[in-house]
Order: sequence, then C-alpha cells, then structure tokens
Amino acid sequence: MNTIQNNMKKNMKDNRGTIRKERLRGLVLWGGVIMAVWMLMVSASDVLADGGVNFQCPATITDTTLGRTDDPYIACKHLTGGDGYVRMADQPPPPDGNAAATYIFGFCDATAIPVENVMDDCLLGAQFAAPTLQINEGDEFYLTLTNVGMNVRPDLFDPHTVHFHGFPNAAAVFDGEPMSSISINMGASLTYYYNIVEPGTYLYHCHVEATEHMQMGMLGNLYVHPAQDGTPLGTCAQGNPCTKFAYNDGDGLTGYDVEFPIQISAFDPLFHLADETVQPLPFADMLDVYPMINGRGYPDTVNAGVLTPPAENGNKNSQSVSSLISATVGQKILVRLSSVATIDFFTVQILGIPMRVVGRDARLLRGPTGQDLSYAANSVTLGGGETADVILDTTGLTAGTYFLYTANLNHLSNFTEDFGGMMTEIILNN
Amino acid sequence: MNRKLNNIFKYLLVSSAVLFLVAVWIIPARAAVDGVMTSNLRYTLTAKPGYISVPDGNSIYMWGYAVGNGNMQYPGPTLIVNQFDTITITLNNELTVPVSIVFPGQTSAVALSGSPGLLTKEALPGGFAQYRFTASQPGTYIYYSGTMPELQTEMGLVGTIIVRPNSNPLTRAYSSASSSFDREYLYLLTEMDPAVHDLVNKGKMDQVDTTTYHPVYWFVNGRSLPDTLLPPLYPTLPNQPYSASPQIRVGDRVLIRMVGAGRDLHPLHLHGNHHQLIARDGRLLSTTGTTADLAEMLFSTSVAPGQTFDSIFTWTGENLGWDLYGHALTDPLVSGFGAGDEVFVQTTLNGGITGGATQLQINTPAAGSWPATAAFRAIIWSGGGFPGSAREVVRLKRTSPGSSTFNILSRGREDTSASAWLDGDSIVYTDHGGPMPVLLPDQQFLTNGMFWSGSPFLGSTAPLPPGEGGFNPYNGFFFMWHSHSEKELTSNNIFPGGMATMAVVEHPDPAIAPFSDIPHITIVAP
Repeated sequence: MNTIQNNMKKNMKDNRGTIRKERLRGLVLWGGVIMAVWMLMVSASDVLADGGVNFQCPATITDTTLGRTDDPYIACKHLTGGDGYVRMADQPPPPDGNAAATYIFGFCDATAIPVENVMDDCLLGAQFAAPTLQINEGDEFYLTLTNVGMNVRPDLFDPHTVHFHGFPNAAAVFDGEPMSSISINMGASLTYYYNIVEPGTYLYHCHVEATEHMQMGMLGNLYVHPAQDGTPLGTCAQGNPCTKFAYNDGDGLTGYDVEFPIQISAFDPLFHLADETVQPLPFADMLDVYPMINGRGYPDTVNAGVLTPPAENGNKNSQSVSSLISATVGQKILVRLSSVATIDFFTVQILGIPMRVVGRDARLLRGPTGQDLSYAANSVTLGGGETADVILDTTGLTAGTYFLYTANLNHLSNFTEDFGGMMTEIILNN
Repeated sequence: MNRKLNNIFKYLLVSSAVLFLVAVWIIPARAAVDGVMTSNLRYTLTAKPGYISVPDGNSIYMWGYAVGNGNMQYPGPTLIVNQFDTITITLNNELTVPVSIVFPGQTSAVALSGSPGLLTKEALPGGFAQYRFTASQPGTYIYYSGTMPELQTEMGLVGTIIVRPNSNPLTRAYSSASSSFDREYLYLLTEMDPAVHDLVNKGKMDQVDTTTYHPVYWFVNGRSLPDTLLPPLYPTLPNQPYSASPQIRVGDRVLIRMVGAGRDLHPLHLHGNHHQLIARDGRLLSTTGTTADLAEMLFSTSVAPGQTFDSIFTWTGENLGWDLYGHALTDPLVSGFGAGDEVFVQTTLNGGITGGATQLQINTPAAGSWPATAAFRAIIWSGGGFPGSAREVVRLKRTSPGSSTFNILSRGREDTSASAWLDGDSIVYTDHGGPMPVLLPDQQFLTNGMFWSGSPFLGSTAPLPPGEGGFNPYNGFFFMWHSHSEKELTSNNIFPGGMATMAVVEHPDPAIAPFSDIPHITIVAP
C-alpha cells in the first residue's frame, strides 16, 4: 500500500482518541434521548397502535434461524435496522492489536429476541454481513423491519428499508426504494410480505440513501430454495442422485451436496469514519480498500465461527457469517455468489476446482426455448447488484486447501495490510 | 432527502406544464425513443461547443453533435434509420480541433471526404467531413468521435444509432417476434470528470491527463437524477433534449436500449422485475435467427463501454399473493382484461371438493398454466361458473411438480366456510380479491417517498402528510432504474443524483391512468 494510504490510516488513528471521547458523550446523551422517545411510544402504544416493535407473523415460529413456522408454507423473520461496529481483518481484538473497530449501519436479527428486548439487544447491534435469509419457493414470507435508530448518529433520523433485490413483479409498497415507497422511521416496525415463486440467489439491502446505507454495510445474503428439492435427479456425491438444487432444472444440472453464500463487498474506511464523526460524506471520493467476503477480509474469512465482537458496540456479535467453504471430495458445492460492492466490479476465481456457472441473477441459465446457457468457467465477474450460481464439482480432486479469491489482485489486501482482503479457502476433506 | 428533491421538482414542474408543448416538431405515433429521422437519407451534424446543466447547479462545458445548425446537444442526436437505408452524414466542425465520427457495428461505413486521420477522415476546424454507411442490420448502435476519442467522447461527442428492422419497424427491434415491443426507451450511460472540461474550456487542453480520470457526475441520456425525469426537449435543459422516464402500462413489453457510452462499466439494475436480454451489439441473441433462444433473464445488466444491449421488460404484478388493484372478491376484473392484466385462469372443476377434503384433482389442460411448484390462491365458484354467486377461496399446491393433484393448504380463509362443490363448478387461479396480507403502520411511523401514492394498490391513493408524495398523478407503481454501483447515484458529492431514473407502471384502465404517449421525433428534411 502506498504512503498516502499509510498517512490516511495514521491520521485516522490519531483522530480517533478525541473523536471517541466526544462520541462517547454524544452516545450517552443521544442514546438516552432515543430510548426515552421510544419508551414514550411504547407506553403510549394504545394510541399509536402500530408503533414500537411489532413483529407480524401469522403463524408460530419454530426455527428462529431459518424463520420456519408451524405452517410449512409461511416463513417469518424479524430484522432491525440501525448502527454498530465490526472489526476489519487488520483490526484484531486486544491484546494483539488496537481496539479500533469500524462503524457501520446494518441489520440485526431479532427473530429470536422477545419483542420487549429487541430495542436493547439490537441497539448498536448491526451485523455485517447482514443476517442471511433463506426461504423456500412456495413460501409466504413475512419480513418485519424495526428501526432501532442510530445510536452513534441520532442526528440522522434515518428511516430504513429492506430492498429484496431482484424480487419478480415487485409491488412498490414492498420494494424498499424510498422515493417510490414507504420506509420505516425510528422506533417503529414495517412488515414486508413476499409471495415466493422464483427460486434463486438474490440479495437484500437497505435502499434509503442507498449510496450511504450500502457503503455503510446494510447488505445481506438472500436466497430461495426451489420446489425441486427432495426430488432425486442428476448425480451428486458417491454417485447418488442429488436432492438439493439451485433451480428447478428438471435434469439435476444445478444439483449440489453443500451450499455456501459468498457475498462480495468492500468498505471505504474514510467514508465510515466520516459518517461516525458527523462529517460531510465523500461520495465522489469513495475508495474501497477493505474488500471482503461475507463481511470479512482474509484471514478472518476462514474463521468458521463468529468473530470476537468489538467493545465499541458493547461486545455484541456483529460478524457471524463465515465465508469458509468446506466439503468432502466428490461432493458438488453450490457457491451462491453475489456482489453488493458499491464502487467496483470484481472477478472471482477459484484455483484448481472447475467452475460451472448455472444461474445468473436468480434465474436458471436456460433460454426461453430450453437452450442450455450454463458454461464452464474459471472466473465470474460481478458488478454491484449481480448474482451468479456456480457449481464446483470436486470429483477426482485431491483433498486439501483451495482458494477462492478476487482476480482483481490489488484487492487482496485489508487496507494497508497486504495478503488479505477478498479471499477465502475451500477445504476439501477425504 | 425527499423534501430537497421535492422542492427541486416543484420548481421545475410548475413551469413544465406550460412549456412542455414547445417541442418543435412532434409526431404523435407509437411510443418511440426520442430522436431524429431523415426524410432523404441524409443527416447534417455540426460539432460545436456549449454547456449542459447538472443537478448540483453547475454548468459544464461540452462539445457535442448538433442537428444541422441546432443546439449543441448531449448526448448526440439519436439517429433513427431504417434497415437497408444508405445514410450519408455530413459533419461540420465549429470546434477548434479536428473531429470525426466512427460507426462501430456498421460494416460498410466509409469516409467520403475529410482530412486524413488515424481511425477515419476528420473534419478540420471550420471544415467538414462526410461519411456513408448502409444500415444492413437492425439494432442499437453507438457512434462517437474517432479523433482523440478518449477526450472527445468525454467532452460529449457520442450518440446512438437505431436501425429499425425492415419488417414491423415500429413494433420490433429486430425481425424476430422475440423483440416485439409496445414502448421503447434509450438508456445511454455516461460519466464525467468536470476537471477535464474546465481545462478544455480554459484552453488548457494540453494539460488534460485522461489517466487521472475521476468522474463525479453520472448520466442517463445526458441527464442526472432528477433531471432524467423531466420531459424531453425541456426548456431549462436546452442542450440535454432526451428524457429517461419510462411510462409503462401493466403488461406492456418495454424495449430498453442500453448503450455504454462512457469509459466505465455500469451495472444497470431495473427495479420491478427481471428484464430479458435479447440482443447484444445489434445482434439478436439467437442460434436460429428467428427467436432469441439465447436470451437471459437478468435483474442487472453490466453495460460495458462501447457495448449495446436490448432488453425487454414486462411487469404484470402476477403472483404477488394479494390483489394489486385492491379489489374485493365481488369487484369486477379490470376493464380491458387480457394478458398482462389481472392474472386469471379459469377451468371447470371436475372432481368437486367436499367439506373434509384435503386434496383436489384437476384433470384439465388449464391446470398446466398454474404454478408448477409454488402454492397459489384459487377461487372456486359454485354452480354457474365465474362469477357465480357463491365462492370459496383456497390455497393450492401441487402434490409434486407436474402433478394434477393439488393439496388444499387452506380453505375458506377469506370467505365462506368449507362446503361441498359439485362437478361443473369453475375454478379461477388469481389474486383477485386477495387481501393485503400485512398491516401497514400508521403514516406517522413512515417516511413517504415523493412517488408514493399513499396506497399499496395500483391506481389508488390515500392522503399523505403535507410535503410528502405528490409526484404520482395516476397512482402508479414507480420503480428506480439505476446503476447499482451506488457511488454513481450522486452528482458531485450530492445524493441523490447521478445515473438513476424512475420508471412508472400505471393502471391498465385509461380512465384511471390517462396515458401521455408522446414521442419526440424530429424529422430532418433537405
């Protein structure tokens, strides 16, 4: 990395002490104000019937992670929008490194949290990558978004939305693009409804002031399992027919044994710092220097668990989505690739494992008359807001560690730290 | 954000109502992209300087192609020609540097006259050059200056050529039925570094370094949001004549001609629905030449520099799971009912269902058009068929893909309790009458967008707080079509702006949504 960036980083660190003290004071003050306002709303909930935390689900939840309910065709999830902190790969927790974490906006998974605790638990609880949403074709999907407010930036009064990116035949009311739709204010909840008819790899993000909220991290994996799941078709591990598929292909082309969502994104630390410290936002000068997979830079990407939470958010787990891919030799791996990068195009490559691109933008790669448009590849290039489904056939490969990484080699770094960034490992076991 | 934009709009729209009709020569015809046609196979373009407006209040010095002696315009005029026409273009040069035109994708293009240049013959300052090509293949093409193109296209010397097919020129992009359309729109994507333009304006062209290029403006058809939404030939944008605000009816096939006319790639994301990519660089994506059998369904298309794409976008609102018109079950279907309006399949129920039945057998061909795998909502009418006097609402799902046996997931949810149904009854697969499945919060908890009608239903409205909503006269569904490189949704550090437009899908009933279907095509005569 060059001198300018080193200086940038140094300046950021120098500024942080002062900024942090100021912010802490603001945090206490404004956090108190938010809580007071919210509690007022809740206590007055007889009048403001739809205010506060209001999770609409017409069935009883049985699995909070997947949002399954006692009705097999109804899924419910509860997210909140707000702010929080994450650690970049060059910001390890003490004692190894400094304690500085990166300020983000993000979603928090409140599905398992009792309604009365949602504000407490999700305030400053933003997660990056956002909680993964996976649902099934045929589901009616109820997704509640509660705006818990921005603890560090209460001056913003920002509403939030969920944009189910790629949802077919969307209605404006549930599209989440704020100019054409509604967005939810602080201290209230909006429930989105999606009748799920098209399987595939989508993504979701907040669309309010999209450049800012997306650069700040309101980005998540979202995919839909096809109805064909459970039907034996094609060939998977040990010569058995596949029972899981990316799409309703009719022939098992998209069959797989294990699936992994791989979301590529990148952060500009100066933008995040500007947002954290109430500075004008440098849109035109945005420069992403933290390229990531599922919200982590290498080597954090290969940590199979939750990253050590930062102190800045009260030690809430904020990086729960691993990007480690592991499988047994002979298995077919479905990589659900999506890009939510806000500036750059990225090309993803895998060393030593053949790729077959079978889906694009949540559709089977097949022409209107059935022409097979899938293709063998060694790379996939994605712009922001694009997705691809890639099948990795590990038949005949040697067990070991393989790498998935960006071929934009200058993005194999965590800011000034080289040898990191947009890379993860594929562990093949015997 | 919304209020800021609202104010801009209020200011602009008050005047627009009056001035909108100033267009020089308007041909009311089928919806077509704004552009210039020729009546004698000849165009005269003039390269000249001028200024464009950007939404942050700045004026940018540009070079552009003008039609004849008209205004410098950005982008250059969209030349709309017919297949097999042999077109002669005379380029006059009022700039202080040589300019030219190259025609990527036109195999027969020749320079008839001009000063020798690297890529083609050039018009010297004060001079002219002449080009000729035969538009042998229909499609969407780009043209730009072949003289120092790295600078001159940035300065604005770039435009689109549309070649209409020999057969069905007004309803198809290519001869193939796969390319048939009801409306068509141009999405020419560019970006801009104003520092380059400042240097050129100050006569310091030798100081321009295109390797340190740092764009801060992004455009669709030469305008940034919110200017993209103003009508074509808008008086306050005299040098940016082209609009980018698709107005669509439910079920319309909308042709979108995407042109990468800058130097960066842009992932163009269309909200609302997938679009079908049917052609690239002026060629149908086809193995047969007759149907676009290689077409892909995408929600974003990466438009690369110099590349063109043709895509078809359609929005029907099918399978929403609730009635997008907000009907009650007893309400009539939308007038002008047909393909693309309310989703509707009807057949005769053979087996009948009894009070305790959990499955339904439907052995008719019509069942084939119902969802193969998803659960769906159906209305079963008693006795006389649709719309009979008694009905029951059920949710059905095939027991396995392709099966004609359906599981009854639920019944009587919206209407009567379970009852016995006889042979000869009718079943309707539709969202007609389907209620809004969630409670929306009271308005005080919401921020309402400027294009939000106040109602979730198409063609309906509800009161909104002062200063919110107000820019959706026929209560359509607006969808943002924009670059998903979100950095590009800004204009010189101001959000929102940049490479974004709003498309609106409106109610199919003209009584509810009168349609202003006005293309702006100028015809140049000798």
